[in-house]
Amino acid sequence: MIFSTLEHILTHISFSIVSIVITLHFITLLGNETIKPYDSSEKGMIATFLCLTGLLMTRWIYSGHFPLSDLYESLIFLSWSFSLIHIVPYFKIRKNDLTTITASSTIFTQGFATSGLLNEIHKPTILVPALQSEWLIMHVSMMILSYAALLCGSLLSVALLVITFRKIFYSSKSNNLLNESFSFGEIQYKNERNKIFQKTSFFSDKNYYKAQFIQQLDYWSYRVISLGFIFLTIGILSGAVWANEAWGSYWSWDPKETWAFITWIVFAIYLHTRTKKNLQGANSAIVATLGFLIIWICYFGVNLLGIGLHSYGSFTLTYS
Amino acid sequence: METLLTLNPLKPQPHLFKYPNSRTYTPISNNNNCRGLCTSVSCKLSSQPSKDTTKNKVVVPGAAPSLSEDNEPPAVVESRSKNSTGVVVKRLSKRVLSFLANLPLALGEMFTIAGLMALGTAIDQGENPEYYFQKYPEDNPILGFFTWRWILTLGFDHMFSSPVFLGTLVLLAASLMACTYTTQIPMVKVARRWSFLHSANTIRKLEFSDSLPKASIQDLGVILSGSGYEVFLKGPSLYAFKGLAGRFAPIGVHIALLLIMGGGTYSAIGSFKGSVTVPQGLNFVMGDVLGPNGFLSTPTEAFNTEVHVNRFYMDYYDSGEVSQFHTDLSLFDIDGKEVMRKTISVNDPLRYEGVTIYQTDWSISALQILKDDEGPYNLAVAPLTVNGDKKLYGSFLPVGNADSTNVKGISMLLRDLQSVVLYDEEGKFAGVRRPNSKLPIEINGTKIEIVDAIGSSGLDMKTDPGVPIVYAGFGALMLTTCISYLSHTQIWALQDGTTVVVGGKTNRAKIEFPDEMNRVLDRVPEINEPSDVICG
Repeated sequence: MIFSTLEHILTHISFSIVSIVITLHFITLLGNETIKPYDSSEKGMIATFLCLTGLLMTRWIYSGHFPLSDLYESLIFLSWSFSLIHIVPYFKIRKNDLTTITASSTIFTQGFATSGLLNEIHKPTILVPALQSEWLIMHVSMMILSYAALLCGSLLSVALLVITFRKIFYSSKSNNLLNESFSFGEIQYKNERNKIFQKTSFFSDKNYYKAQFIQQLDYWSYRVISLGFIFLTIGILSGAVWANEAWGSYWSWDPKETWAFITWIVFAIYLHTRTKKNLQGANSAIVATLGFLIIWICYFGVNLLGIGLHSYGSFTLTYS
Repeated sequence: METLLTLNPLKPQPHLFKYPNSRTYTPISNNNNCRGLCTSVSCKLSSQPSKDTTKNKVVVPGAAPSLSEDNEPPAVVESRSKNSTGVVVKRLSKRVLSFLANLPLALGEMFTIAGLMALGTAIDQGENPEYYFQKYPEDNPILGFFTWRWILTLGFDHMFSSPVFLGTLVLLAASLMACTYTTQIPMVKVARRWSFLHSANTIRKLEFSDSLPKASIQDLGVILSGSGYEVFLKGPSLYAFKGLAGRFAPIGVHIALLLIMGGGTYSAIGSFKGSVTVPQGLNFVMGDVLGPNGFLSTPTEAFNTEVHVNRFYMDYYDSGEVSQFHTDLSLFDIDGKEVMRKTISVNDPLRYEGVTIYQTDWSISALQILKDDEGPYNLAVAPLTVNGDKKLYGSFLPVGNADSTNVKGISMLLRDLQSVVLYDEEGKFAGVRRPNSKLPIEINGTKIEIVDAIGSSGLDMKTDPGVPIVYAGFGALMLTTCISYLSHTQIWALQDGTTVVVGGKTNRAKIEFPDEMNRVLDRVPEINEPSDVICG
């Protein structure tokens, strides 16, 4: 009993903290960037990370098995991975552009998991015989971590595409409107630079920082996606080895397996497009955006079908 | 001129196609020998002058090399006929190689494979043709053209073994090999070569550069080697690098992929598999169950082993759900001697001489009952179809005249081996009994006692020679993918008076690189007294 109440408390705390962090980010967007809200938002994310870790630990102890047996638990794990990805670069490079994406992803996944959209109770359930294996920990955690990293990287590419192609849409409008339609990142960048630069022409100023920002997004997206790709490879291969130990066949063209392989191929295409100079930039970002859609098909879309070896994650929506 | 050109006619060099005009070929690669093209040039110069020079100018990159050979006057060709076909083959293979190693082609192949796999999940696999006639009818085609004809002729109903899919996979494998040979290996050779930079200006033009006003290059070298770099110091110049493995690793990735593909192919054509449901107490011979998968499958001595199911039992959670099911197996060889005994469960198979037996499923085969204290009788149990994963088994005990057309009796339903639900002749619920409880139940005057519920074990068997290869490929792929995350960083430095000019570049970690460099450079001590410089 104590565990379930503890769990509830932790869930609610993490949810509220992340909402506060997002709100703080929006406040810095609208106003001048001051140090205090930023630092407290970082502390808030660390607190969320600890809360989610505590939540997963509690479920582990309470149910006796690693908390990754159905869709709800995998969603909690996904939001935990997002907060992990948020925190790790924080220790190496104090400030980065990844924060907003990871923070919002955490809250959205957390919110979806705890909402009533999923037609199942959130109590820990028992493990069916096929899932009682040590491989469960390695395979599923690697897959969820990889989803988190690849989603972050793809979202960065989407942001890159949006910024690159926005000037085509808005090029007809006047300078004033362009000022107002700055994205949060550009304001961040502007505020970072010295006041000295503001003496130069406003327009060239903006283009230079925009180009620099696009390049930064490009590099970040590349690094995060390569990390996610490593995890995805390890996840798929450990799943194959587990399948061979359990059922005698390391690849059986199950829909979920096939879609994971398709995801792997699409991100391999992304990594290969970056080897050629002329394909870098917008082209690879388009591939990464495609990858973003495919991850969602792989994670949720296949579960909606509810068939095959991976039917543990299936669910039905309440209103369907 | 002719003697020069006729030196070694047998070494083809396609690069020379780019320079058709120069008659005096300056050697482009290391060996100073003449190329195959020169043969034709020299012959034509001797026999027919000006006209053929224009002809040779036309025979430029796009034209097939064999054409120039075929156009030669037969008299000259004969003496070198055998060698020229060898030359043709080599040239053709080089062109095929460069065609396959083309990156956009490889990307297209990968896209095609991904698209075919997606189609394979959208179209139901392995059904009989009538299913596809119904689902993709000709009078109402999807997207305006997609009917069952497309599916059946292209083999999309068995997509993952269809010629289209397998052909694209083979093409991808060929591209992988071609790319590794032509692009990756030379790149690695280039990456390993390095040289000191002797000009401060060149260093300043690098991606990242900085200058330390009062520093010694030896201090920089020491700090760099403390940070994990390999440092080379010669006079005033310094070169350091880190993470060279990150350049080799992509080759390893390609090789690992080829290993996996090879192992998978071997599995597909050389393995045996089969599945069987054996009631408790019965046995079977391995060779009867295992069926071959491809043309390379050869049975081994182990196939004569007899497998005996001693006992099948299940574990349950407190809530009543199945937690695990186990089978106690004994293996007897052809002489009847027991060679192995093991209890298997899901995720814990039995391995014997290359054959593996997995516990995959279970079923209920018979119900042992006592009727009016007579028996025990064995009633056959049949599975009943229900929706979803839940299993339900049923049995029927006729009461009264068993031969009449309207047979009435007692129905028994079981979900698992724990308990039996009994219904009377009208179908009304009568009671629940556990096997072995020795508690009889009275239904319409008949006394029934459930003695035992006999389960049967669902076993899958397999022998697969390709598995070690595939596992090796898996391990290699995991390792090399991790290593290729490393970034190859190179740093050059030059001692310019009392200033050290430092520059560096890296191929992957472009964001973290300036920060890392700044941290390293911050640790280089500043020299304030001239005496320090002299000692260093």
